[in-house]
Amino acid sequence: MSESMIHSVVVRDPIGLHARPVGQIVKAVKESGLVVTLRTSAGAEALATSALRMLALKVKHGESIDIIVKSEDLEVSRTLAITIEALINEG
Amino acid sequence: MPAAPTEIRGIGVGSVPAVGTVFILTPSEAAYEHRSTHHTPDEEASVLATAIATTAATIRSETAHSDATAADILEALLMVMEDPELQLMARPHLDVGDDAPTALFKALDGLAQIMGDDEDFLSRVSDLRGIAVRISGWVRGIAAGPGIPQEGTWIIVAEDLTPLETSQFGPSVAGVVTELGGPTSHTAIICRALSLPAVVSARGAMGLSQGESVLVDPEGNRVLVGSSLSNATQALTFHPQSDTPLITVRANIGGLADAEKASKTSARGVGLFRTEVLYLSATKEPTVAEQKASYVEVLRAAPAGKVIIRTIDAGSDKPIPFLRIEDEENPALGMRGFRLHVDHEVFLASQLTAIAQAIDETGRDVGVMAPMVSTIAEVATFAQMCSAAGIRQVGIMIETPAIISVLPDLAGMISFLSIGTNDLSQYLFAADRMHPQLGEFNNPWQPGLLRNVKLIADHAVTLDIPVGVCGESAADPLLAIVFAGLGIGSLSVAPSAVTDVHDALSSVTATQAAEAARVALAAHGPEDAKTLVRALFAETP
Repeated sequence: MSESMIHSVVVRDPIGLHARPVGQIVKAVKESGLVVTLRTSAGAEALATSALRMLALKVKHGESIDIIVKSEDLEVSRTLAITIEALINEG
Repeated sequence: MPAAPTEIRGIGVGSVPAVGTVFILTPSEAAYEHRSTHHTPDEEASVLATAIATTAATIRSETAHSDATAADILEALLMVMEDPELQLMARPHLDVGDDAPTALFKALDGLAQIMGDDEDFLSRVSDLRGIAVRISGWVRGIAAGPGIPQEGTWIIVAEDLTPLETSQFGPSVAGVVTELGGPTSHTAIICRALSLPAVVSARGAMGLSQGESVLVDPEGNRVLVGSSLSNATQALTFHPQSDTPLITVRANIGGLADAEKASKTSARGVGLFRTEVLYLSATKEPTVAEQKASYVEVLRAAPAGKVIIRTIDAGSDKPIPFLRIEDEENPALGMRGFRLHVDHEVFLASQLTAIAQAIDETGRDVGVMAPMVSTIAEVATFAQMCSAAGIRQVGIMIETPAIISVLPDLAGMISFLSIGTNDLSQYLFAADRMHPQLGEFNNPWQPGLLRNVKLIADHAVTLDIPVGVCGESAADPLLAIVFAGLGIGSLSVAPSAVTDVHDALSSVTATQAAEAARVALAAHGPEDAKTLVRALFAETP
């Protein structure tokens, strides 16, 4: 039975969630084979395999987003969520 | 007698000429136009999917060797292009009879609308459209992409170039000619980095014919059709008469690597240390101790002589991760340069403290200056902040027209001036440095700029303080001589340009420099100014 793990992140990049990290997230999520969703504080969701959907969330600097990872292994979920957080704020 | 070859004039980038075959980088109209199709929407959808996948694979292989940042951005763009969502957005257009490329163009228009005010995304839309045009070319069987042949010697001719296009230049590209663009535009910067000769802002370039042979003559600021290398304007060669240049030549640096590079040149110290480079990759505000450590490291590596440090220069178009700077309609006229002290006084004070401690620890001769000041009050505030931090040599950058006229009032507040010609041009001429059609206004040979440099130099004499030039313009050896003649006391240039500028300034007398300045000041336009000054030195044995 796969479970969802939610990891909240505040976007620190001055230009918000932009093309470069989004591209890197798609790559990381596709490699993991897991189902990952990003959710804004307003409740808008986007699958992390869609660069377009994520860009259309228009997440700005200072906003908080949830990274939701579905997996049977909580440790695997956490690792991926932290990877995504790093891409959002350092990529 | 053969007719004189057709000449197209522009702004030269680089000094080594090149001859090659014209390759016009305009996809034919046929790749852009909207068309309908008699195929079924399903058939067309499958064509679109294949075209996207094939073109993306081609672009990936073409750009396998470009630098990491450019490759990352391109990869993100390709992921947007390959996103099945985009094909869903194209579908309604296919359903009403548009062909695959037309539906893709319309889907991108829709996407641009959804993204609305997102400037980062909008700045990439032209690159996405560029990729869409290549996809269109593939579908319609037109050579729409750059598709620059790997064999041969090509001169790329275009309206202007995008990062996507320049990232695909291989060894077969020998030169570049663009109708638009200026001396500090993206195209010019990339060409300089790739050591490709270019002529930008070349009105009439798009009238060149595919396949004809042209000479790119950057030194002569022109392109000659059907001409050979022997007709290229020779780069001036200067023969140093002494080891001491007429005025001091320093180096511009952004961090430790530059400081080390500069110390291997004949630069006497550093005329511009752009400190923002130290902070660009920091995600949180560094402590005073961390900042001090960076400054000590750079000061120890910097070439012997005076070092001039510029306090942080950022703005909403040039963000620093840990400084909150609101988005602005007009970043060049917004909260930037020293104006940041209003919202970030604590950080600026910490920077000055760290610099003061690094000066104490290294014992170097250091001046500290503020970027983009325009009022007497700003200068007074900066002087007070420096004094509070224990910094004794305080200066300002001259980048705004307003500060020039109040220079006499700054007596006693500051001990040196440094002219940033790039921004000073932009603000004097009200011409965006990056605007593709305004290159001519930002030409540093403009008499409107040079006469202001003279004015500043005269004010510096009255104030009895030294004045330097640290803009890109000082890297032109000929202009360096003009600056010396105008009364400028020091120049600061990129480490790679130090030798040329040093040699030029070591081969002329003060009388020759004064004559060069007189000729340049009297000219009515930048072309005249450069040609007339050049003629003074062309015969130097």
